[in-house]
Amino acid sequence: MSVQPGWRQLPGRLRGGIVLLGALAVVALCGPLLTRDPAAVLDPAAAALLPPGASRVLVTLADGSTILADAARQDRGEWRVTRLGAERTIPAGRVAQVARHRFWLGSDSVGRDVLARLCAGGRVSLGVGALALIVALLIGVAAGLVSGWRGGVVDAVLMRVVDAALAVPTLFLLLFLAAILRPSLAALILVLGLSSWMGVARLTRGQVLSLKERDFILAARAIGAGPGRIAAFHVLPNALTPIVQDAALRLGDLILVEASLSFLGLGVQPPTASWGSMVAEGQEMLASAWWLTALPSVLVALAVIGAGLVADGIQDLSRRKAAAT
Amino acid sequence: MRTTRFAAASLCACALCAWGCRKETQASAALAQTGPHRGGRVVVAIQGDIATFNEYQSSASATEAEIIDLLFPTLVTEQPNYQESPPSFAPRLAASWELSPDGHTLTFRLRRDARWSDGIAVTATDVVFTLRAQKDEQVGSTFVELKSRIRDVEVVDPFTVRFHFTHAYPYQLMDANDGHIVPAHAWGAVPFSQWRTTDFSERLVTGGPFRAATHTRDQTLALTRDPGYWQQPRPYLDELVFRVIPEPAAQLAQLFAGNVDMVPYVPPREAARVQARPELALISVPARLWGFVAWNNRIAPFSDQRVRRALGLAINRQALVESVYCGFARLAEGPVLSTMWACNRALKLLPFDPQQARALLAKAGFVSNASGVLERGGQALAFDLLYPASNSLRHQAAVLIQADLARVGVRVTPLPLEFTTFLARQEAGAFQALLGAWEESTKVDLAPQWCTQAPGRGSNNFIGYSNPEVDRLIAVAEERDLSNVKPVLDRAQELIVADQPVTFLYEAMRLIAIRRNVRGADINAASPFFNVADWYWGT
Amino acid sequence: MLRFAGRRLAAAVVLVWLVATVTFVLVALAPGDAASRLTDPRISAQTRERWRREFGLDRPLPARYAAWLGAAATGDLGTSWLHHRAVTTVLGDALPNTALLAGLGLMVEIAGGVAIALVQLRRARGRLDSALSFAALASYALPTFAVALALIGVFSYRLGLLPPSHMHSLAGEQAHGPARMFDLLLHLVLPAATIGLTGLGAVARYLRGVLLDERGRLYVLAARARGCSEQRALLVHVLPNALLPLITMIGMSLPFLASGSLVVEVVFSWPGMGQLMFGAALARDVPLLMGATILMTVAVVAGNLVADLAYAVVDPRVRL
Repeated sequence: MSVQPGWRQLPGRLRGGIVLLGALAVVALCGPLLTRDPAAVLDPAAAALLPPGASRVLVTLADGSTILADAARQDRGEWRVTRLGAERTIPAGRVAQVARHRFWLGSDSVGRDVLARLCAGGRVSLGVGALALIVALLIGVAAGLVSGWRGGVVDAVLMRVVDAALAVPTLFLLLFLAAILRPSLAALILVLGLSSWMGVARLTRGQVLSLKERDFILAARAIGAGPGRIAAFHVLPNALTPIVQDAALRLGDLILVEASLSFLGLGVQPPTASWGSMVAEGQEMLASAWWLTALPSVLVALAVIGAGLVADGIQDLSRRKAAAT
Repeated sequence: MRTTRFAAASLCACALCAWGCRKETQASAALAQTGPHRGGRVVVAIQGDIATFNEYQSSASATEAEIIDLLFPTLVTEQPNYQESPPSFAPRLAASWELSPDGHTLTFRLRRDARWSDGIAVTATDVVFTLRAQKDEQVGSTFVELKSRIRDVEVVDPFTVRFHFTHAYPYQLMDANDGHIVPAHAWGAVPFSQWRTTDFSERLVTGGPFRAATHTRDQTLALTRDPGYWQQPRPYLDELVFRVIPEPAAQLAQLFAGNVDMVPYVPPREAARVQARPELALISVPARLWGFVAWNNRIAPFSDQRVRRALGLAINRQALVESVYCGFARLAEGPVLSTMWACNRALKLLPFDPQQARALLAKAGFVSNASGVLERGGQALAFDLLYPASNSLRHQAAVLIQADLARVGVRVTPLPLEFTTFLARQEAGAFQALLGAWEESTKVDLAPQWCTQAPGRGSNNFIGYSNPEVDRLIAVAEERDLSNVKPVLDRAQELIVADQPVTFLYEAMRLIAIRRNVRGADINAASPFFNVADWYWGT
Repeated sequence: MLRFAGRRLAAAVVLVWLVATVTFVLVALAPGDAASRLTDPRISAQTRERWRREFGLDRPLPARYAAWLGAAATGDLGTSWLHHRAVTTVLGDALPNTALLAGLGLMVEIAGGVAIALVQLRRARGRLDSALSFAALASYALPTFAVALALIGVFSYRLGLLPPSHMHSLAGEQAHGPARMFDLLLHLVLPAATIGLTGLGAVARYLRGVLLDERGRLYVLAARARGCSEQRALLVHVLPNALLPLITMIGMSLPFLASGSLVVEVVFSWPGMGQLMFGAALARDVPLLMGATILMTVAVVAGNLVADLAYAVVDPRVRL
């Protein structure tokens, strides 16, 4: 009896998680098309650290430069522009455009629009995070499976490699990599994935070790199934619970760890934004400009919650399927 | 029954402890009286603990230098009056001094009432011992080369010491005074070959207004009044406690909460929050720290003076200073700080003129390509701008410079690096452009940065700047008397500014927050603890 | 079991040597060295060269490595270039501080996670379950420094109940005996709570998933049919079988007792291994870095050994 799940039949968690992740993906993909240039530095002194909702008047001059004024009014062929409390007069000929400029989510320390940066940063963070997660899972699950199933020397050697990878000070490994790799997104994803596979490997190995002696595995071996087939169809599906749970949390870790990589020249280079680097930049101004850290942190948390709900939902679905058969 | 009694007792203990914690600094304020009087404790927040009490063991950080100055004496105290003339000196360990007519000897007469913290008198032997340690290669301190012009020091009598110089030159007193005097009787027992690996806190003997009472590593350094200090009844404060709080935001939070009384480095962006509090005072003094964009003069296109000048013209330095430093910095225009007596006030200032920048770049052969970036001979005008990632002020400056230069068609990629990696690349000259900063001493010496690199010269000239006329002028200035050296220095500054080997950006101010109840504090450009012995608690 | 432990110890020695060698090479290859930080313009290039000679940095890499290895094999880890004290002393000062805080934090994390998972199990698929899942995920995903600053803001500055930083208050540093111990405990609360809060989300989620899986199995149904109460079935039958992933996690967390959390240590001004290693890395203090790496390797090996032995104890079917 096969159950074809329509949207309503899916477990609530799974639906919630998919909606959340979907919303974040839409923001990340479409947001940059609808918001301003995230790298635009309009008027650093006047636009710095404005709270969410603040608005100013953007005066664009004929030569392309911009002034972000508190207020501007036209007075007999001249514009009277008030900026930072001081008023100046500009002849109307030099003024190209005057428009209201609202910072919906505030501005950062050099006056860039936070909303635009969050949208652009979403692409980088979610993309890099997801890809790095895939790299970590691929390497970690493979290593854990082989190690747990084969046992013996292979297990000993692989686990010692994991130990070594955990014990070597990461900073120097990263400095070494930073010296030989040109900073790029591919390098970043590789480095993030390589820093994260060890936990997945240990977890997988643990699961495999305990599943190896279970009755259904012994039965599969008895009927002559090869180790590869057993691994793929019998061991892996049952070992998945902790691995999938862990993967959801690992996504959040990777997004935030990317920020610390930028301290070594391996992360995203300015002016590219990423949620992790926005959190790190806003850290020291938490008391005076809370929105710089709080908003990207909330988005990272939502991404993790979404991924977690999806993971839980898949568990619920497979449990439901197992109960139905 | 027992459990309830125990629970009640622990709750009381808990409450008392918490209450006690809060009331610690307030007790000091309760000693409110008019006029200087003894008593009280001032708690200062510092970012990192001192690594050692022996400044000849390591390259002291600025905080370490300030703390060591509280514990060990120098011969004289340099005054913060280097703005109008070379700095003058006030007696400290030395009551008087005189330079011989030929300028080869400097004799100091020490005060007779100076004592180390264990009661032994501070004598000429200590001064001689100190100089031997400073010049010893096995100790290997940073003073070895600085003291190279001092041939020897001799003990004339227990309270008279004579410095012999190789020749007469303007900064003899400053050089003789450099470095704190250390106790010969306590530290002389350790052979110089073992100085690097000895823990001197185990044999700590100090000679200042305060002595080290307790040192809990990376937590607290508590100094108490030294009863043998020669300026009785000073110091008025009973205790001066340094609390290690690594984050500037946390330092301010504890200042506002009353746990800490003084924060010696306030980030410019937080200045407004300090000023908003009536119980705190924000003091800004000129720091001798100035920032610049270093262009690697050895490689194209920065070897072309027109390109360097154009890049400087295109950067809106005023906006950068206003934005990044919130007004607590001024524009730097030349190699000598504007707060120094030797600054050439007639220098032509570099304006903000993107039009002229574009014109200059066009003259240098750069044409705009399809994507709007300037290029010459197929090579785009694009480069990496290095800066230390941990410094958020330089990060902001890098972003602004990138935006400014993008408007004239130059593609800049800011490259944040781990701090030591940044320093290594700076030293090796392995960069195209970088955002750097120097902290200058009060000695006006253009040689390390602006002389052509050669053995013994230009050791900090990592940009590869070379102008033979500037070299000649600097050599002349080194031998001239301080009273007639200014014209030479002025001309050297003119030439350097005309060459624009670096783009001079800003001269920072240092912001210090202190509780208003701490009276008598003269926080000035020399040091925040300049007259710490005079501090007292008032209302 | 003893033969197994013996084999692992032998492997551990080889591993320590291997990791130490790799680290030595990486540190030597890293840009910059201990003399790079002499940035005062008055310091000449000669001074920097002399510093490099003093630290042996002008010698070729194999010679430096041989010298270090020779000394380390006899137990002499050298003197820290930054702290001017023996490496063993410096590590010995910082390690107990980190182990204390990390240990307490781990206990909060595990106890909290187990408690939340058990509560969620009681009301599986109800609203409390969903709310707790949400909260566990959120607390894990928030950056550690934000949680730390929030706790300090509320409990230290607003309510004035707990101290905001350090291991002891100024008075506590002078105290002795029970008063000192009490002062230390007060100062441990917030940092341990930070570590616990940011970590218990992971524990709770693992346990919830695995417990839900186990609860549906036949042996639990059999136990309930025998008259076992829901609670007893949970604690006595289900929980032990869910232990294996938990043991993996605890085993992987043991090195944390030696490395600590840099963020927590910086925010709370806690003088531990995290800050020590960070400072040593920045200053390229080779003796201290090597000593700390050896310590970390031993911790990682010990953690895994304990985890593997615990597997064998908990699940007799596991053959090592």
